[in-house]
Amino acid sequence: MGKVFFVASGFIEFLLRRILGFAVILLVLSLMIFALARVVPGDPARMAMGPSASAEQVEAMREQMGLNDPLPTQYFRFLSGAVRGDFGVSLISGRPVTEQILRLLPATLELVLVTLLLMMVLGVPLGVLAARYRNGWVDTLLRLISMVGVTMPAFLVAILLQLFAAFYLSDWPLLGRIDRGIELPGGPTGLLLIDGLLAGRLDVVRSALQHLAFPAFALALSGIGQIMRLTRSAMIENLRRDHVQTLRSFGVPDRVVTFRYLLKLSSIAPLTIMGLEFASLIGNAFVVEMVFAWGGFASHGLESIMQNDLNAVMAVVMVSGIFFVLANLAIDILIGVIDPRLRLKEGR
Amino acid sequence: MALLDIRDLNVSFTSYGQRTHVLRDVSLKVGEGQRVALIGETGSGKSVTSKTVLNTLPGNASVESGQVFWRGTDLLTRPDREREKLKGIEMSVVMQDPLSSFNPVFTIGHHLDSVLYWADRRAGRRRGRAERTAHIRQVLRKVQLADPDRVIAAWPAQLSGGMRQRVLIALALMNRPAMLIADEPGTALDVTTQDEILRLINDLVTEEGLSLLMITHNLGVVRMTADYVYVMRKGVIVEHGPLKQIFEAPQTDYCRELIGAIPPLYGAAVKDQPLSGEPPLVKLENVSKRFTRRHLLRRDETVDAVRNVSLEVPRGEIFGIAGESGSGKTTLARMVMGMLGATEGEIVIDGVRLTDHAEGRIDRRMAQIVYQNPGTSLNPKRTVAQTLDVPLHFAGLDKAARARRTDELLERVDLPRHFASRYPHELSGGQKQRIAIARALAADPKLIVLDEPTSALDVSVQKRVITLLEELRSDLGLTYLFISHDLSLMRNFCSHIAVMLRGEVVEQGTPAEVFADPRHPYTRALIAAVPVITDAEDAAKPVVTEAEKKRFLVSSAA
Repeated sequence: MGKVFFVASGFIEFLLRRILGFAVILLVLSLMIFALARVVPGDPARMAMGPSASAEQVEAMREQMGLNDPLPTQYFRFLSGAVRGDFGVSLISGRPVTEQILRLLPATLELVLVTLLLMMVLGVPLGVLAARYRNGWVDTLLRLISMVGVTMPAFLVAILLQLFAAFYLSDWPLLGRIDRGIELPGGPTGLLLIDGLLAGRLDVVRSALQHLAFPAFALALSGIGQIMRLTRSAMIENLRRDHVQTLRSFGVPDRVVTFRYLLKLSSIAPLTIMGLEFASLIGNAFVVEMVFAWGGFASHGLESIMQNDLNAVMAVVMVSGIFFVLANLAIDILIGVIDPRLRLKEGR
Repeated sequence: MALLDIRDLNVSFTSYGQRTHVLRDVSLKVGEGQRVALIGETGSGKSVTSKTVLNTLPGNASVESGQVFWRGTDLLTRPDREREKLKGIEMSVVMQDPLSSFNPVFTIGHHLDSVLYWADRRAGRRRGRAERTAHIRQVLRKVQLADPDRVIAAWPAQLSGGMRQRVLIALALMNRPAMLIADEPGTALDVTTQDEILRLINDLVTEEGLSLLMITHNLGVVRMTADYVYVMRKGVIVEHGPLKQIFEAPQTDYCRELIGAIPPLYGAAVKDQPLSGEPPLVKLENVSKRFTRRHLLRRDETVDAVRNVSLEVPRGEIFGIAGESGSGKTTLARMVMGMLGATEGEIVIDGVRLTDHAEGRIDRRMAQIVYQNPGTSLNPKRTVAQTLDVPLHFAGLDKAARARRTDELLERVDLPRHFASRYPHELSGGQKQRIAIARALAADPKLIVLDEPTSALDVSVQKRVITLLEELRSDLGLTYLFISHDLSLMRNFCSHIAVMLRGEVVEQGTPAEVFADPRHPYTRALIAAVPVITDAEDAAKPVVTEAEKKRFLVSSAA
């Protein structure tokens, strides 16, 4: 029993270290965002008051927004607000920034999660297949496809898919997250698939899936290619290992060695990439969100930047950062579950 | 009728359109209950032979002609599916490297169960999981693993090398095969562990009435585990006969050379290196190194890698540090190199205190190192000239001087000048090690640390490298710090020897003294475990009791 605890405590320590590290990352990120917001041209107070306001009015606004306080004071005000989830009000709409984000975040989150699922579900098995038949026609074909997938920009794929749907699939929804006629289930997560399932509303799930399919695929394509290649090279690398020879020498069938023993070992590398993919997806989803009129967090971030809505931009970047950190933590836990060496190795 | 009867086997490999003949008319027999050894150096084709028998040849290999009879049936004419059924059931292989032979993300039990499950499937048997586990437990006990349940539940990384080697043997025994093919078992392990493993294999072969095909390059191992010997060279069986005949009256030059290349442990042929009688070049006084592993939740762990070591290495001598893995000998060498700082104590090289310098800032013209594996210590993407350029550049030589010195260095290590433009993969193991030696010589050091410089090489190559090192020492007046676990080599090559156990020097003196009368039981155990090639040497070995072994050796059975 003591042994089990020992092993577990090693892993918990490993995770604690990561969490501490991530806290530092977030702190540095907050500093950078704050600094950035102070160096970009344009006066937030002027922005908020509009071009017709007088200099006195703007100055009064500056005072009200605390822009005349010393920078450290401003930073700590921003930080303590951020910790409480309060990023102030939008300079454009005047509504709390957090409220807007909470409204839009689930849409992007749902899109990104489905995209990641697609990447894993398609990328890894295709990579295994390519490795198994390496240098054969299957491999060549898959490598070609992955090359195309990686190089094609997501918005192009999105537009092509939309055109395809418009011409050939008459009933297929082209825009938005769900059919207009459907009453939203309104659940705890804001993710239509999960809320729909929780409420037992299969019509919601079905419609949401239809709407998700093309945007998610457009977004996933480059990732699928990347993960496929990563899995392929990890598999080929591992195929040369002695332990493959061990099992084969004792007559364990090739397919078992490949799909069971090697797959688990080779999934570590693509998983690591997934954490990074998640972050870039949250940021890059806007192109696809634009094309499909998704109305999500990512496109909101873009709009805020275009409108110089500093409070909103800061909030969007901060929230993206938090998700990046959370995703990587989740991946670390997952890899720890897969790879015992990580659990056994404690401390440094 | 012999169990295994290979006749006139010819195998070739095709790579990049080029065909290489790797086996030429190989004939070999293993009788029922016979212990046969196949000896050969790297690339001689011994592993290809075993792979042909097992049907695990890579895709680019093809059998040109010949027969492989198993109980009278020619395996080469049978379909793969049928040959597959023999694997692990009729003949089993004991894998070479216990450290890499298990998939790190599956438990040991998972590997064992998988092999058993598929063997059952092929044999048309049905057994439940519990039944299989019971069988696995039984086999693990047979290889003297005391706590089978712990082994079954363990991840590969949790077991020592010796334990993993035992599990590999268990894998091979799982389905009561008629023949074991052992491919260099235990060579990756410490001598004492290797000794245990070989004894275990011997016992099992006798108890279970198995036939054994032992594939190895180590003649000492052959003497322990075989009755009949085949000697292979460049894909050809050059000589075969009963063990006694091959060892005592070899017929071919090659065999004589092979046997002559092995450094003797005892007897008249042993060479004593003269003492230089000069003042010490390197002086260690009460040197300790403690590594600390920091923890968040628990108290920090500390490992005392080196404890209170005091040594004096006289100028011009070859000072050997013997010990098994984890004894602290490499840590000690790194401290002498100035790559690690000592936690306590003082290291003085040529009158300069190392502790006065920050880690890694030591003058490179003082000490250089030659690593164990030339295959990994040379950058594969750099030519020989580029590799040698690095130390020369830091020695402050200009381009012309560097080119001159490169030629000179190559000449020093007996390699032709045009090797300067070669890449490591174009060189043999021995040639690579010569380059590594040349690199160490480049900056004209006073001291060279040799970290098991020949353990990755074949004996005949080892002999030539050792001769080169001896020449260089007398020509250039070098001092060597020689780290090794090969005691028979150290007996002949060192002028001084220190034995390390768990970070401490437990015994030191001249090899003649230490080997004639080893005081410490650990030294005795180490010497006793060396596989030797004559009965006389075996008889001259010190005696070590089981109780002493228990106290000082790490058991691989627990």
